[in-house]
Amino acid sequence: MLRKTIVTTLGIIWAIVSLYPILYMVFESLRTQETYITGLPWLPPAHPYLGNFQDVLAQGFVGYFVNSAIVAIISIVMILVFSLFAAYAIVRLDGWFSSRAFTLFLAGLAIPIQAAIIPLYILIDKMGFYDTLWAIILPSVAFALPLSILILVNFIRDVPKELYEAMSIDGVGTFGLLFRLVLPLSRPAMMAVGIYNFVQIWNNFLFPLVLTSNPKLQTLPLALQHFEGQYTMNVPAIMAAVILSAVPLIIAYIIGRKQLLAGMTAGFSR
Amino acid sequence: MLKKSALVTTALALTFTGLVAGCGTGGNTSNAGSNSNTQSSNGSNGGSASSSTSHTITIWDSESGTMQNMMQTATDNFNKSQKQVTAKIQFYNDNAYKQKIQIAMGANNPPDIIFSWGGGTLKTYVDAHKVVNLDSFLKANPSYKNKFFPGVWGNVTFNGHVYGVPEGAGTQPELLFYNKAIFRKYHLPVPTTWPQLLSDVKTLKANGIAPISLGARDQWPDLLWLMYLTDRIGGPSVFNNIINNKPNAWSNPAVAKAIQMIQQLIRAGGFENGYAGVSADSNEDQALLYSGKAAMLLQGSWIFPSLKSSAPQFTSQDLGWTTFPKVPGGKGNPNDLMGNISTYYSVSSSSKDISGAEEYLKDVPLNSYEIKTEIQNGVIPPVKGLAGDFKNVPDSNFLTYVYNKAEKAPVFVTGWDQLLPPSEAQTLLKDLNSVFVLKMTPQQFVKSMNAAIPKS
Amino acid sequence: MPRKKRTQRIAILLLAPSLILFIVFGIVPMLGAVYLSLVNWNGIGHQTFVGLSNWVQFVKDSSAWHSILLTFEVMILTWVIQTPLSLMVGIYLAGKQRHRSWMGVIYFLPLLFSSVAVGLLWSYILDPNFGLVNTLLNAIHLKFLAANWLGSTRPGLVLWTLVAIVSWQYIPFHSLLYQAGRKQIADSLYEAARIDGVTFWKEFWFITLPQLKYTVVTSTVLMLTGSLTFFDLIYILTDGGPNEETNVLAVNMYNTAFNKSMIGYGSVFAVVIAIIGIILSIVMTKFTGFRKLESQSEGV
Repeated sequence: MLRKTIVTTLGIIWAIVSLYPILYMVFESLRTQETYITGLPWLPPAHPYLGNFQDVLAQGFVGYFVNSAIVAIISIVMILVFSLFAAYAIVRLDGWFSSRAFTLFLAGLAIPIQAAIIPLYILIDKMGFYDTLWAIILPSVAFALPLSILILVNFIRDVPKELYEAMSIDGVGTFGLLFRLVLPLSRPAMMAVGIYNFVQIWNNFLFPLVLTSNPKLQTLPLALQHFEGQYTMNVPAIMAAVILSAVPLIIAYIIGRKQLLAGMTAGFSR
Repeated sequence: MLKKSALVTTALALTFTGLVAGCGTGGNTSNAGSNSNTQSSNGSNGGSASSSTSHTITIWDSESGTMQNMMQTATDNFNKSQKQVTAKIQFYNDNAYKQKIQIAMGANNPPDIIFSWGGGTLKTYVDAHKVVNLDSFLKANPSYKNKFFPGVWGNVTFNGHVYGVPEGAGTQPELLFYNKAIFRKYHLPVPTTWPQLLSDVKTLKANGIAPISLGARDQWPDLLWLMYLTDRIGGPSVFNNIINNKPNAWSNPAVAKAIQMIQQLIRAGGFENGYAGVSADSNEDQALLYSGKAAMLLQGSWIFPSLKSSAPQFTSQDLGWTTFPKVPGGKGNPNDLMGNISTYYSVSSSSKDISGAEEYLKDVPLNSYEIKTEIQNGVIPPVKGLAGDFKNVPDSNFLTYVYNKAEKAPVFVTGWDQLLPPSEAQTLLKDLNSVFVLKMTPQQFVKSMNAAIPKS
Repeated sequence: MPRKKRTQRIAILLLAPSLILFIVFGIVPMLGAVYLSLVNWNGIGHQTFVGLSNWVQFVKDSSAWHSILLTFEVMILTWVIQTPLSLMVGIYLAGKQRHRSWMGVIYFLPLLFSSVAVGLLWSYILDPNFGLVNTLLNAIHLKFLAANWLGSTRPGLVLWTLVAIVSWQYIPFHSLLYQAGRKQIADSLYEAARIDGVTFWKEFWFITLPQLKYTVVTSTVLMLTGSLTFFDLIYILTDGGPNEETNVLAVNMYNTAFNKSMIGYGSVFAVVIAIIGIILSIVMTKFTGFRKLESQSEGV
């Protein structure tokens, strides 16, 4: 009983630590320029001001949103499919090729994108992808693969050997095992990979900035710029823009939570 | 096993180095070719990609808010006024712009019209023959050239040739702002000399008020103190030697003296508690001033609009402003100003329509529409003879003061971090950051900066 | 053996899309950076091939060594703070009570925001004069705890602050990994233990943790390589200051390459980052037996 109380208390404390700074961001977004620094920071403003949100929406938020959604969804599908294939091959089809491929992906975990951006720009330009959404999607997928593959390898590897053997005896082939055994069992890990990469791509600033230039192709993170000057910025409006760009993610998460939880609890809890 | 993996990696490396090296030398070849103004761009920059005619020009700019709206409207009007050229203007914020333009320039894909702060960065473009010489354009349009403050041309003139024209942004000198209510309460004189400033600091400190607000976390605010003090002590020639890369130019005693005076001010408690953790970019330094926690703030005139929206009553009643104090015995003129006199447009040498771009420069930046709009918005165009126009606009006493100071300033120096070569500028900001937390002595500063002067 | 050959062929087929994308858009640009580390280039004008002279400069550069040291410090600190917390949160969330899934929604929130947004947010929370933390500490009479979180020259304080913010942002991700890992452990293992009346701590030490061994390795590799390239947040909050106390490799690299316009020398930093990352990830997976790819989880 005591243990349960301690666990619940700790759980609540952690919830406050996670949530409060974000609530603070919401409070700030509802303040006017006049009170956002000097108001009592831990309380919501007495007279919430919605003008910041109107300003953000007036800057063509919807168009940015559509581009971001296209980029993120296509990228995520590619990442999940390709990394599942790759991870399965690395775990189950062990040989010299898989093993070296895995080493290569491991080596790729620490490529600093700021350093690779100049050669990447030249490459994208030469390949004719400059100023298309593919210029954002393809490198985003490439840079997400090492991390995704490492995570999936970890989880697929822990699928008990006996399960493969049982199915193999029933005559299920390589691809059958992948889709009927590995895919369902690695859903929790796929969720983790999917969520993480979605958020990373949704928020990426550097690729859309450098690899596109047509205003019609701009994604949400570029929209934040409207509120930053050279020496000053409109902080409440930036906070409002940040919240607005996270709202779709929160809504998607709450709606998808049921499926997500089903995925999470798949595992081996028989 | 590790060895074998390394082998595979090397093999892959060898396969692909060819391609990459190709990219690199590709850059070289086209650089060599860009000496002539007619070099053709490889067809994928913003402007030429989006249109099949050679009459579309692209402009990349770094402005926000109302300035952005104004420039967009002026560009739209230009497009309607004639049929030869269609201009497309795109905006990025400061940091984003710097990164985007650098990569595009490096890969030979710049826009037709390039925004810059003049100085060191523009000089790297000039040295690489990436922008065209505008001498003949200016000669052909003398009335255009003469309408601007004469001081604007220094930042874009290299070896006697002009490579940029004013972009449209306002003139923004840096001033000493103060809270009148605090000065009244303690019967303090507004400081006109350095000793007076120190004595005000002492009184304010004794009464528990932070004398001066400083947003040192962003580094550039530190520089305002060094620039003003160096000029007041040693006059403009000190920086002229520095910008001309004279060996050991930083050894001029004015520099070490300025650093020493800054550190004396810090030791006297001149800046607010925690100044090293306060950010100017997010307006925290302004908040100290209008909330009455600090008495003074050395900042650019660009903070006025944000002060006004953050603290309207304070700004109309208790905001005071003055020039940086004199230093007794110093060589500098107390009317010398530091700040942004102008930002600039240059024309890319790879542009397919250089004359169209020049047409845009002549017709759009600071045309009568832009000047009128700026005056209404409280922006001060670097254009001569407008003093009367500021009489009947909101905040006219502030704007008239700034305009008169700027028009009559004997010397108007843009931020050293913009004027110096990028590497020296970055060292300067980092070293000042250490100076302001008392982790670097004046002698160490001078030594480190002398080492950062580019060797010719 | 034809069967082995067939397996190889399927492996190549399955790996091909990932390999092609990763090599073209990941490895090739990185090799481009290796090439750039051998030239002098301001990003605009001519590139001059200078061989290894940038590398020699790096070895002699005391600020570079300072950055390497700081980077390892950040790496170790983030690992020490994040790993136990992520494990606890992950295991907590893997529990079946209904309210825990709602807690999961809340815990997950910090992950939703970009580093730029997180940086701006904490910049306000930690402002020495108006920020939430110091105002709150003053209000509850704990003024002595208030500090200049982002500008203090007290050794290590600003670095610790940054590590705390990074942890706040990334613990949700790592706890997601541990949650998924804990779900994958067969219930039968715990049932057997419960019959023997094993305590919670023993259960954790002898069942959960050993079973999560490779998830710990995965999460550790990601934390270590991640903190090597960690950039945006530090750049926004301190830009390496005050007095270079937070000038980690990635920030130093960016300032050298883009703000100093020394692309060649900046690329040396980039290559060093990549080399350290490669060594870390390969050594870690080798020494922990992670590369033994057959299933390590016990019985069904």
